[in-house]
Amino acid sequence: MLLFDQLVKRRGARTVLDHVGFEARPGRVTAFLGPNGAGKSSTLRILLGLDRADGGSALVGGSPYRSLRDPLRTVGSILDGSGAHRSRTARAHLAWVARSNGIPRRRVGEVLEQVGLADAGGVRVGRYSLGMGQRLGLAAALLGEPEALVLDEPVNGLDPDGIRWIRGLLRRHADAGGTVLLSSHLMGEVAGLADDLVVIAGGRIVKTGTLAEVTAGFGGLEDAFFALTGGGDGAGR
Amino acid sequence: MNAWNTFAAELRKTATLPAAWSGVAVALLGSAAITLLNAISIRAALAAGRPETRAFTSPFEAAFAAMPLGTIGAVVIGVTIFSSEYTANSTDAGGGRQITTALAASPRRVGLLAAKAATIVVFVAVIAAVTLPVSAGIARAVIGEAGTETVTLGEAVTRCLGGTLYWTLTGLIAFAITVLARSGIIPLIVLIVNSSLVSFSLLLTKLTPLAHWLPDMAGRRLFDGLSTVEGGLDAVPGALVMGGWTLGLLIVATVVFRRRDA
Repeated sequence: MLLFDQLVKRRGARTVLDHVGFEARPGRVTAFLGPNGAGKSSTLRILLGLDRADGGSALVGGSPYRSLRDPLRTVGSILDGSGAHRSRTARAHLAWVARSNGIPRRRVGEVLEQVGLADAGGVRVGRYSLGMGQRLGLAAALLGEPEALVLDEPVNGLDPDGIRWIRGLLRRHADAGGTVLLSSHLMGEVAGLADDLVVIAGGRIVKTGTLAEVTAGFGGLEDAFFALTGGGDGAGR
Repeated sequence: MNAWNTFAAELRKTATLPAAWSGVAVALLGSAAITLLNAISIRAALAAGRPETRAFTSPFEAAFAAMPLGTIGAVVIGVTIFSSEYTANSTDAGGGRQITTALAASPRRVGLLAAKAATIVVFVAVIAAVTLPVSAGIARAVIGEAGTETVTLGEAVTRCLGGTLYWTLTGLIAFAITVLARSGIIPLIVLIVNSSLVSFSLLLTKLTPLAHWLPDMAGRRLFDGLSTVEGGLDAVPGALVMGGWTLGLLIVATVVFRRRDA
């Protein structure tokens, strides 16, 4: 469903992504792991057409994101928290997002309900907490009932309750045949959730496979992660 | 269908953006207030039997003299419609910006800019359609029959359309500059100062006649009757020059926006 092939991205003299390639398949939760600055966000931004690659391709069901018609009906995404302007209410934010992709207006109320913001729909986003902003971002991602969810650090700022809730939601999405790709720099978050792992460090993919394959030979995911990414010394910066 | 959805979303977005409404308020309420002051002072001069102390006693001229406020309103709308995409949320709320959502929803960038430009045109046209009759009505109500209306209805309509075109082009230029700057603060300050306090272009005409070809100087005859300096281009060639600037800046902004990482 989501295919990355030989992605290269340079910023000035620095190579941010060095021939990044992997796949996120339907019916699976794929966790994209790496330290901060390893290239996770850059990869996802290229997939979503926000940044341009200097080489390679990132495709959604075989097509570049930019060529999708009403893309929110195919891919729901969170990149930068809520992605909403602070002076609009959540409801007004979701209303324009829905309009832009011809999504029925009733979905606004439904997703607000689904993410637990039904009572905060009339509150300006500027007054939201980090966790509420994440929930609003997720509401926008779910708006078009997309097949794939692409989430950059989705549990950031969520309380333990919220983390548990989002895990359940993503699990159900994958079990229903959807594709889930989420990035994270925290092992604990994904260990119980991911089916497939992709580990990136310093702009290079260092390991891909199922949870069992990646952790084989290590004490656990955390040990595997530090061994693969070169320890906790900020590799990849 | 796709382009229509993007446009409809932009209209809704702008209609729910408080900053855009401050542009509407400046144009509508500002014009009404200036017109009221003008009209009161004209009425006082007429009542004192000294109409010669005023440049005009025509209610329409009293209302039309407030046109620069509409220019400021158009600048505010043109700037904020784009700068709001880049307004960062507080770090407590994750610090995200709306541009990621906008481009995820409408990844065709030329289409997104076109939808925003069309929204500016609609907003400015609606502002003009409300502001100009309201201001003219205020002036007429205050000055009444005492003043001499020197402007025929036909002239009034032509001048209002000219002024609306100037507002629209100014709004689009402000928009294009903001796309290039990616932030609203500097374009907002420079353009508002230029169209209210000190016109940099006007000062430049003292140095070189070429400055008459700058967009705001070229288009100023669209405000027929408001001209304060002699020289420069006539209304129609001036409008074409200003339109050319607008189109050129929009093209540059589009090329840059297409190539740029969000």
